[in-house]
Amino acid sequence: MRNFIHILFAALLITGLGFLAFITVPVQRTEPQTALADDWRPEEGQGEYAMRLADCAACHTAPDGELFAGNRPIESPLGTIYSSNITPDEATGIGGWSLDDFRAALYDGVRPDGTHLYPAMPYENYRKLTEEDIRALYHYFMEELEPVENRTLQSDLSFPFDQRWGLRAWKWVALGDPGFVADTDDPVLARGEYLVEGPGHCGACHTPRNNLMAEAALETPDEAFLSGGEIDGWTAPPLRGPDSAIRGWSAQDMAAILATGRNAHAAINGEMQLVVRDSTQFMNDEDLQALAAYLVNLNDGSTAPDRAEETETEALLVSADPDMPLGPRLYLDNCNACHFADGRGADEVFPELDGSSLVTAQSPTGLISMILTGSELPSTAERPSSLRMPGFGDRLSDEEVAELASFVRSAWNNGAQPVTPAQVAELRGDAEAKRD
Amino acid sequence: MTPKFLQSSRRGFLGGTAAAAALTTLAVPARAQVEVVPLDRYQPDYLTAGEWAFVMAACARIIPSDGDGPGAIEARVPVFIDRQLAGDFGAAADLYMEGPFNPGSDAYLGTQTPLTPARIYRDGIAAVDQWCTDNLGSPLAELEPEDQDTVLRALSSGDLNLGDELREFWALLVQNTKEGYFADPRYGGNHGMQSWIYIGFPGARANYLEWIGRNEAYPLGPVDIAGERA
Ligand code: HEC
Ligand code: HEC
Ligand code: HEC
Repeated sequence: MRNFIHILFAALLITGLGFLAFITVPVQRTEPQTALADDWRPEEGQGEYAMRLADCAACHTAPDGELFAGNRPIESPLGTIYSSNITPDEATGIGGWSLDDFRAALYDGVRPDGTHLYPAMPYENYRKLTEEDIRALYHYFMEELEPVENRTLQSDLSFPFDQRWGLRAWKWVALGDPGFVADTDDPVLARGEYLVEGPGHCGACHTPRNNLMAEAALETPDEAFLSGGEIDGWTAPPLRGPDSAIRGWSAQDMAAILATGRNAHAAINGEMQLVVRDSTQFMNDEDLQALAAYLVNLNDGSTAPDRAEETETEALLVSADPDMPLGPRLYLDNCNACHFADGRGADEVFPELDGSSLVTAQSPTGLISMILTGSELPSTAERPSSLRMPGFGDRLSDEEVAELASFVRSAWNNGAQPVTPAQVAELRGDAEAKRD
Repeated sequence: MTPKFLQSSRRGFLGGTAAAAALTTLAVPARAQVEVVPLDRYQPDYLTAGEWAFVMAACARIIPSDGDGPGAIEARVPVFIDRQLAGDFGAAADLYMEGPFNPGSDAYLGTQTPLTPARIYRDGIAAVDQWCTDNLGSPLAELEPEDQDTVLRALSSGDLNLGDELREFWALLVQNTKEGYFADPRYGGNHGMQSWIYIGFPGARANYLEWIGRNEAYPLGPVDIAGERA
């Protein structure tokens, strides 16, 4: 969510070209992609469900704030952007917006007055929403929600990033065609594809950014789509291709992690926790199965990575040899209790560290953050217990965390680069700054 | 008989630990061994100087230093007791302390005293020291070890007649001494994890599955909650 600041850099690049014309010529709004009767009404609950699929709550609700009243700060080195109040309040929200106004925000990233929205709002992906979903969302936000008066704080970006008109040029390059076209005849796979490309905006995090910091691909046939991205230093792992984090997972594994945040291999962390907490856990069975089928199909033909069952690491840990190096010793003293000597944890309780995409990610940010501050799995309807991994920041020095992380990254069948104490010190500093 | 509900609650311990962990996750690690104050220069939080001398003397007889393993003094058990009495445990914060109190009722009905643990220590120590001074010429701390044993034995069998409200004093003293001996060092006792080393307990490491049933000693020393190794 925070990465988009780079997008602004890109926008600046283009504005540098100095086309003043597009500041003044009005923006064309995208038309509805299907014609629905004027008196079309969503079924009971359809609007709320569409809101869940699109995860509007994650961004538009401030921590401890009222639902959809906005002002969730999105920090960046250049300033803070605040999400908007999208309750139907006339003065401070989107009360009084027409359906066309609402559609234009989701498809084209513009406000009724033509102001461009920052792409922190994922309209690159929402452009694929069906007219039914747009109408259902509109009904939900306009008629099912109570207005909340809460003025959206002024985003305080420094010049020239505060010049929103620059985004117009960026959109010419970044936005794909509106509307959704399935890449398959299979209705189940097509539904999964829609959920991923459109409302689920999975690509906003799991697709790499190109040099304009736009999503490098927006659709399934392009192999760059879902081939791995980065968000706030955390790696959103590839969901396809040779390095896919979910290679060899069954449809059941896929459905389990989306519905409960945990499965036999992994547990979700960082931003992905918000996705499960606010969105995917609410999917109905049919959609969950469609999404799972899509992800399995995306990894079709690939098998789980080869993993030696017996490893030197396990033998060393089991030996409990007092002369072992510091890394494995720290693992035994701090981590072994839950993740075990074989690094395989326990199904749906303690995730595997052997082969974990978070452990072996190129950037060690996620792993170091996990060790310093721990994490808590969100409680879901199906798995209410919010399992907690404690933080070890108070037990371990920067040098120790680096030794431990380096060990875990190369233990069992893992083979990732070591971590330095300086990398740990930096993240510890960040975490303290965020807390103060 | 151990007054069950005077035991420092394990749930409270664990809950406290979790909360503390949550609060301190980001604290800069205090790895440098904190200098510990020698016991003769320790400034008690709750106990007066005379009470401190009593607790030192009693603990030294309950788990003496001349046995096989470390004694209560080496494990700094008196520090544990002082800190517990100064905190929620001493104040009976987790106990139901509204009447009616019927301290003389059958022991099987559990603790019925209106006094908090801190108060039981205060009044109990005063009563025992008074008895020692009246009968043996000086307070417990100044008696010879043999005489101290005699007094403590009499205390344990109820022969000192401290009265119903102080009936649990002995049980509490023994229980807290054991707790201070075996609890995690973060609470002031079990200094240097000495009791764990002595009994071969691996500490807060909590998983040594592969060694169960092997009938040989686990090679690694213990780890405490703060992550220190011994
Ligand atoms: C990834 C975060 C994110 C998600 C998910 C998201 N939004 Fe937004 N949205 C934002 C941000 C940030 C802004 C403010 C952008 C700006 O100030 O330029 C915004 C702005 C808007 C606006 C413009 C309001 C105004 O006047 O500023 C509307 C309408 C809106 N969002 C609706 C939605 C709806 C409906 C959904 C779900 C379908 C949604 N958003 C999901 C981040 C998000
Ligand atoms: C806001 C950013 C964001 C969005 C949106 C997002 N993800 Fe993620 N996702 C992440 C991050 C970061 C991780 C890595 C953290 C982890 O390992 O749990 C992750 C991890 C995962 C994993 C687990 C991989 C593993 O081995 O642990 C799966 C599966 C996944 N995402 C699927 C999806 C799907 C499907 C969607 C769309 C419905 C989606 N994600 C949307 C950020 C995101
Ligand atoms: C008390 C049990 C416990 C201990 C001890 C523990 N963990 Fe965890 N760990 C968990 C749980 C539960 C999760 C899942 C939590 C989540 O994802 O939010 C987890 C998740 C992780 C993950 C993320 C895995 C994934 O699939 O995304 C990593 C990496 C990790 N732990 C490393 C460690 C390291 C290194 C240590 C030792 C410093 C450690 N853990 C100690 C319980 C524990």
